[in-house]
Amino acid sequence: MIATALRSADTLAMHDVQAGYFDHDLVLQDVSLEARPGKVTAILGPNGSGKSTALRVLYGFLQPRTGSVTLGGEDISEIAPDERLARGIALLPQGHSIFAQLSVHENLELGAWLLRRSGGRLTEAVDRTYEQYPLLADLRHKPAGSLSGGQQRILEFARTLVLDPRIVLIDEPSVGLAPVLVDEVYGQIGRLKDQGRTVVLVDQNVEAAVDLADHVYTLAYGRNDLDGSREAFEERLDDMIRGWLAL
Amino acid sequence: MLYLQTAVNGLVLGLIYTGLAVGLSLTMGVLGVINVAHSAFLILASLTAWQLVSSFGVDPLLTLVVLVPSAFVIGAALERVLIRRVAREAQTTALLVLFGVLIVIESIGILIWTTDTRVLDVGYLSGAVSVGRLSVPYSRLAAALLSLVAVTALHLFLTRTLTGRSIRAMAQNRDAAALVGIKVPQLTTVVFGIGTALAAIGGVSLALAFPFTPQGHIQWLAWAFLVVVIGGLGSVRNTLLAGIVLGTVVSFAGVLVPFEYTYLIVYGLLALALMIRSEGLLGAAERRI
Repeated sequence: MIATALRSADTLAMHDVQAGYFDHDLVLQDVSLEARPGKVTAILGPNGSGKSTALRVLYGFLQPRTGSVTLGGEDISEIAPDERLARGIALLPQGHSIFAQLSVHENLELGAWLLRRSGGRLTEAVDRTYEQYPLLADLRHKPAGSLSGGQQRILEFARTLVLDPRIVLIDEPSVGLAPVLVDEVYGQIGRLKDQGRTVVLVDQNVEAAVDLADHVYTLAYGRNDLDGSREAFEERLDDMIRGWLAL
Repeated sequence: MLYLQTAVNGLVLGLIYTGLAVGLSLTMGVLGVINVAHSAFLILASLTAWQLVSSFGVDPLLTLVVLVPSAFVIGAALERVLIRRVAREAQTTALLVLFGVLIVIESIGILIWTTDTRVLDVGYLSGAVSVGRLSVPYSRLAAALLSLVAVTALHLFLTRTLTGRSIRAMAQNRDAAALVGIKVPQLTTVVFGIGTALAAIGGVSLALAFPFTPQGHIQWLAWAFLVVVIGGLGSVRNTLLAGIVLGTVVSFAGVLVPFEYTYLIVYGLLALALMIRSEGLLGAAERRI
């Protein structure tokens, strides 16, 4: 109890979570993770280890069957995604999350959907986003689907940040991107950290993720595997990757 | 002169067809549900309007004050109680459920109003507006304008309001809509309500322009589908264009070829549209709004 009381309000965690998509199938088995405030926590593991599912559970797209998700010690397992968003948790999924036929501006407005009943704040939030991403201001009237792959990814980042979330969950940020854009994307994630946000990063790009991370968890077969600081992982990175390839 | 009159008739007819189809286009485009009960709702609205006009002397346009909100509530309830339960099943399940709804509405219609053909007779709409040698019956003009107002209002709602944009967003990417905090299940209920409310407006428009019977909805369903298939799904502007194309084709066919060829030409048009849109009725490329 003392430990819980000492945790900051920004600590997002899951405790002994079991979760899956079908009745007979568990993707996560007793997984526990903790995203420390203002730090980057990376969740790594081979394909099918349950990394993305863990993010879906943290965001509320998937309910844990047993175990719980907590924010600052409060159980939020039953809370819907829109309410988690209102509490400052945002999810940037693995690609293709833009509304392709809507304009860049409409995409950003919808990113601020939760502010719809207070038009002034919605406009402020979108304007603030344009200040941070001047590129998007120039493209505001273009259909989002007509943007280049890199610009679309920037739009996804910007839309995720419209509501100024304290905690950002990021799923496979570099998947499907041209190599030249990958650096840009990790630069963006670095910026989130510099801004003091809590980041939970799920990634196949192990080296880049460990490079950014303060703390690393690995999952294997839907269970907790390793857990430690970046320094601890950097030393054994090669062994780890070799092990996964053999899996 | 005959051609100009025929073109004007086609335009008027096209606007009415658009009004019959636009709700169907919305629910199919946004929700991917093939609402075969759409035209049963149209006719139910026509019959109710007829009853209100003939029993209580209500102005046909005023019947919308009752019909539109009622249809919205019925449509929303139908989604909430029935459609949602089968949303995760194969698309044909929802189709069968809605076919059941169609049968129930038709049966209620026949029980209450019998199979007699009804005509909405409104005194002040009995004349025709004439410009030079062109003339359009008031009743058809009223029906066309009513459709035009409904279609324009829908277009403005979808493009100018944040709720409208959220509906377009949901049509394009349901997962991303949930991601930004849109309550997708609630919005789905609202969209089905709006689709049914549009059917009510289409029903009043239909009653102003054509005779109708409780069992005649199948014919109107075919017309509505025709407009949706030609126009593609969900785009209000394209639905309007498709309605006008269909109206014009029907109008000219009526003048240029014997009556029995009209349907042949119209369904030839349908076949052509389907061949061009080879993705099929719910092809991904057409899921835009």
